[in-house]
Amino acid sequence: MSNAGADGRVEIDARTFNPYSQDFIRAPDPVWQVLLRDYPIAWHKDLQMWLVNTHELCDRILKDNRFTPNFRAWEFAPPPKPDEQKNDFDLAFEKGFFAVTPQAHLRLRKLTMPAFSRPVMAKIDAKIHDLVTDCFDAIGDAPSFDVYDALASKIPVRSIARMVGVPTDREDFFHDFAVNVIKSTRINLGAKERDAAMQATLPGFAYFREEIARRRAQPEPGNDFLGSLIGASDNGSQLDDYEILSVVFALITAGSDTATDLHTYLLHGLLTHPEQLELLRRRPELMENAIIELLRYGSFGKMPFFRFATEDIEFAGQQIRKGQAVGVNISAAWHDPARWENPNSLDITRKLDGNIVFGTGAHFCIGTYLVRVQGSLMLKTFMERYPNARLAPGQGELDFEWNHHNARRINRLVVDTGLNPARRAA
Amino acid sequence: MNKWICVICGFIYDEAAGLPEHDIAPGTRFEDLPDDWTCPECGSPKDSFEIYTD
Repeated sequence: MSNAGADGRVEIDARTFNPYSQDFIRAPDPVWQVLLRDYPIAWHKDLQMWLVNTHELCDRILKDNRFTPNFRAWEFAPPPKPDEQKNDFDLAFEKGFFAVTPQAHLRLRKLTMPAFSRPVMAKIDAKIHDLVTDCFDAIGDAPSFDVYDALASKIPVRSIARMVGVPTDREDFFHDFAVNVIKSTRINLGAKERDAAMQATLPGFAYFREEIARRRAQPEPGNDFLGSLIGASDNGSQLDDYEILSVVFALITAGSDTATDLHTYLLHGLLTHPEQLELLRRRPELMENAIIELLRYGSFGKMPFFRFATEDIEFAGQQIRKGQAVGVNISAAWHDPARWENPNSLDITRKLDGNIVFGTGAHFCIGTYLVRVQGSLMLKTFMERYPNARLAPGQGELDFEWNHHNARRINRLVVDTGLNPARRAA
Repeated sequence: MNKWICVICGFIYDEAAGLPEHDIAPGTRFEDLPDDWTCPECGSPKDSFEIYTD
């Protein structure tokens, strides 16, 4: 399974960690515990990247600016294109959160904060409340429903679309754009698949460029997020078109496809722990803590976060070469017994200070409050409408999308609503 | 007394309230926090904060 390389490098391969195996997707914890116990850091010969697993090391590497999330720093990244060949994807990527200097990154974060920070959670709630309610209205009094189909595949992308200002009739177009944006930089995909995804983003970028131009031509750019970015100013400096596109790009990456798993794992976690669901019902003030704990407990990530070494670095006793990829395995870290007592227990009262559920450091998840508001709205509405809900027989007929590029995606989870048949008939 | 906001995650440090759960007494000015103090929400350093007005 493992051996020491020529220079004392700790090495593993797919026999120790294979994120694509069905056994791992079903029950990842035994694999994580081996990684945490025996391989805090190791070179994965099959994935051709370092794998960092413990909470302490994941926390440290995410705060270390010598490791960049910019995949252009990867040793196998496609070579830079000449300027005249760059398309909208390339130009937006170059100005984005993952590619710019730390100082420029702070400026971008500052300009986006008014739309996505803790102080504006109530405003986010007001913006997306109705679309969560609409999803539950569509379920109505049905005896059962599939969480993935009815909620998870709809709420996140509609929320991001709403935040950005995409009209309802363009949501499918927007969803395809979102998935392709994410796939364009996933190094676990082949170069051809990445390039095809990148090409498929271009109509989306064109749509937003036209929309930005339309807004700029108006006396007021609008009071939604896109309008706020067009009008935003930091000491007189404004965002250009590609900076605005880069922010849209970042929000999509952070908040659409990833948040799909939020809804399935929140409900799966609570419905398999009815005592915790009952506790949340009695103590609604625990909601935000419960959402973070449910994400930690469910750990739905399959692939790690990627970072790339910008110089040769000795890290945790290993020599990482410039350009090498590092998989920051935060899903394992969330189950690290050295950091979390009884990591496989769900406890919505758990003290979660110092958690890295939304990452840590400069690239802390920009969508974190949108996710918390979405999760909270969904759970509150679910508990109000279906107080006697439980998983359908057979553990909710749970199924996975085995080939998802990033997540241990649950794509079927059936819930019995527990509504009285007489009421349904009335 | 001022409030300070972390521009990375939006965490607000209120000098009047301090952070008693992190052993920072009410009334502790932001400037007086240790140089290596980091945002309790996202771990960003002090220079990620700026003055916040409600």
